[in-house]
Amino acid sequence: MVSMVSPGTPQKVVTARDMGIVACRLCTKAWPMGTEVCGRCGHAIQSRDPMSLQRVWAYWLVGLICYIPANTYPMLRTETLFQSDESTIIAGAVEIAHYGNYGIAAIILFASVVIPLSKFWAVAYLAVSVKNPMRVSNHRRQLLYEIVEYIGRWSMIDIFVVAILSALVQLKTLASINPGPASIFFALSVIFTMLSAQSFDSRMIWDAQAKKEDASQDD
Amino acid sequence: MTEDLPEVSVSPARKIFFSGASLVWVLPLLALAVALYVAWQSYNARGPLIQVEFEKGAGIKSGETELRYRDVTVGTVEKVGFTEGLGRVTASIRVDKEVAPYVDSGAVFWIVQPEVTAQGITGLSTVLSGVYIEGSWDDVSGPSLERYHGSSEAPLIRPGQEGLEIAFRTVANGQLTDNAPILFKGIEVGRLGRARISPRGSFAIVEALIYEEHRDLINDSTRFWDTAGFSVSIGPSGAEIDFSSIATLVGGGVTFDTFVSGGNRVADGTVFEVFPDKETARSSVFNSSEVEPLDVSVIFDENISGLAVGAPVELSGLKIGEVEALSGVVDYNQFGDSRVRLNVNLSIQPARLGLPGDVTAENALAFLQNSVASGLRARLASASLLTGGLKVELVMVPDAPAARLTAVGDELPVMPTTKNETSDATATVEGVFTRINNLPIEELLNAAIAFLDSADAFVSNEDLVEAPTDVRVLLSELQGLFTSDDVRNIPVSLNATLMQVEELVSQLEQERIAAKLSGVLDSAAQAATAVETSVEGVPALLAQIEAVAAKAETLELNELVTELTNLTRSAEAVVGADDAVALPGSLKRALDEVNYTLQELREGGAIDNVNQALASARNAADSIAVSSRDLPRIVERLTALFAQAGRTIEGYNRGDELSRSAQATMRDIQKAADALASLARTIERNPNSLLLGR
Repeated sequence: MVSMVSPGTPQKVVTARDMGIVACRLCTKAWPMGTEVCGRCGHAIQSRDPMSLQRVWAYWLVGLICYIPANTYPMLRTETLFQSDESTIIAGAVEIAHYGNYGIAAIILFASVVIPLSKFWAVAYLAVSVKNPMRVSNHRRQLLYEIVEYIGRWSMIDIFVVAILSALVQLKTLASINPGPASIFFALSVIFTMLSAQSFDSRMIWDAQAKKEDASQDD
Repeated sequence: MTEDLPEVSVSPARKIFFSGASLVWVLPLLALAVALYVAWQSYNARGPLIQVEFEKGAGIKSGETELRYRDVTVGTVEKVGFTEGLGRVTASIRVDKEVAPYVDSGAVFWIVQPEVTAQGITGLSTVLSGVYIEGSWDDVSGPSLERYHGSSEAPLIRPGQEGLEIAFRTVANGQLTDNAPILFKGIEVGRLGRARISPRGSFAIVEALIYEEHRDLINDSTRFWDTAGFSVSIGPSGAEIDFSSIATLVGGGVTFDTFVSGGNRVADGTVFEVFPDKETARSSVFNSSEVEPLDVSVIFDENISGLAVGAPVELSGLKIGEVEALSGVVDYNQFGDSRVRLNVNLSIQPARLGLPGDVTAENALAFLQNSVASGLRARLASASLLTGGLKVELVMVPDAPAARLTAVGDELPVMPTTKNETSDATATVEGVFTRINNLPIEELLNAAIAFLDSADAFVSNEDLVEAPTDVRVLLSELQGLFTSDDVRNIPVSLNATLMQVEELVSQLEQERIAAKLSGVLDSAAQAATAVETSVEGVPALLAQIEAVAAKAETLELNELVTELTNLTRSAEAVVGADDAVALPGSLKRALDEVNYTLQELREGGAIDNVNQALASARNAADSIAVSSRDLPRIVERLTALFAQAGRTIEGYNRGDELSRSAQATMRDIQKAADALASLARTIERNPNSLLLGR
């Protein structure tokens, strides 16, 4: 049962486990199977992490829980001489769009809404795909995992913006910007999704492949 | 891996579930717990939503406008909408949970906006921050209402605020400003609320609050008066301008004092009267109005001007109340024509009727009803002849048509009337006063003053002062004339002459020449007689001089003085003339000569010479007689002169000339007065002329 969607990888992937080798996940040095501690960096070596998926889901859940108040509570509290204004992430983006700055509104929406949401989706998809056979090829999923890993840190750009604004605009009563409660939740959400993505043992993608192939060979 | 299947089946599922679970699951559980807790807490901490209705939105914004209690934010407006039918604005306010129980039926809400009044600027902070809703409620919790009514301005008395709540009643010309302060010795001890007009429209009611700490200053004999504006009084100590403060000058204010001691404590809701000034307030203490006045209406057929609000209402000459309101009334159904009638509302003080028992308006009404049944009627009467003002008199009319004092429904009881007793006296008196007013009193006074001035000048004239002196000189000279030795020696000389003549006669007798001698003697006797008669005239002359002097003494007139002075001078000239002075001398010399001749005759002894001697004696006697004859002439001249002087004086006494010139003077004065009068009339006709100079 060869995937038709992934045309470039028809050949069988040989895992390190199959070859009796285990790699350190920290310094990537390969050790013979059975080694418990990396001789180079001292990191514990496991051929497969049995708790990986549990951690992924746990962090994912925390991240998701944090993401809800991050969107309902105000992100920025702007106090000027005449009024104080509190806006959530989406309301802020919409307001900016009202002023005509569609580009900035799009960046904010992309960085604060689209990316985190796609991350949740991507991590969940990967975690599910390890247990259940998916039509997307292993290579694609590996790529998706790498993208998620890479892009995850950029979600913090929102927090940086809030931090910089809060630090710069402190003109006492004239005008001041303070981070709202949402910023903390948003930061937590980003942190936990990053942890979630990191907890994912990407080698399981290939185990699933191997399992599938075994099954097909058995058939 | 498939070989492990049976192994999996034997291992108990529960054990795997626990051992296989990672510790990391604690995190989401924790997060969930925290989230749930926060959610529950925020839901739990959320207070109820209350609805407050306002007349106008006045800048209320949903999500922004705060509800404040004692200037602390205790809620936020969540929604602004309208009541059904868009009649009012509804603000849904989320109130903090801690204060929500206290927001009960006694709560009041108002919108705080920037406001500039005479007392100052309030709500300035809302210029920048926008309006907020201030709420006030007491410290006792109670059931909340579904809807509250909010006002657009702060209430005078906030719930839970301690203080004495009283009300003020003010009649004509009162100027009570909303929120004006109540001052006592310059310190604000309370505040007025918003003035309302009483249901009948005859007075204004203002509620007021005396702050708790000043509550004891007020008792039931306290009198309040208006300090708005300023008063100018001119008295013995000079002009005085009096006003309490700039704030009360502009915004009005009320102050009070307790003029008598021993008042009773007052309860909330007591109504005080506000008097226009301190004097009225003070005098009102002694004719106090402690009970609610009885209002009675009177409708007069004649609409006579002169009755004013505040005019007295008298019963048997005693003031029992006053006119509270005046209006015209036209009611075809009631009166049968469409004439305008005078409707007068009387405010009668039951306390002044001297009723036995409880002094209440009801008792007073009962008393009046009885009196009306036995003939008490109201009528208009002249209150003052000077001002033409009217008063309302309640009088007993013996055989009046039956009438009753009854109130129909909500209307005031109507007092029946009788014929008015306003006479034309007012007009007459007014006319008299107008005429008195028009009398040229000032001109008269001016003329009198001018006359007195000239009289003064006349009396103080130097000539007049000199007159008595001249007269005295004249008299002293006359006296000198009569007391001169020469005159006094005349009788001595005569005596001596006669003795010698006697001697001579005896000699002649002896020498038998008596016959001739008798002629001589006759001449001598003749001469003596002449002398005698001439001397007799002197007392008359003196009497006349005295009369002249007396007359001169009584008169003080200018022209007279000059005349008199002239007269005196001429008299002096007459008296001082050499002839008069020489007269006694020559008389004496003549007598001496006679004497000498007789002596010679006697000594000579020559009879021959006797004849000659006798002849010369006769000549001498003749000359004596001649000179003596001159004396009466002088006396006559003097007499004539004084008679003339007397006539002159009498003439002046009649005052012809003087009165003529005085009349002329008066005419001049009159002319000047006329000119002044015409100037006054011009100014009266055209007062501008005084200002414009033409």
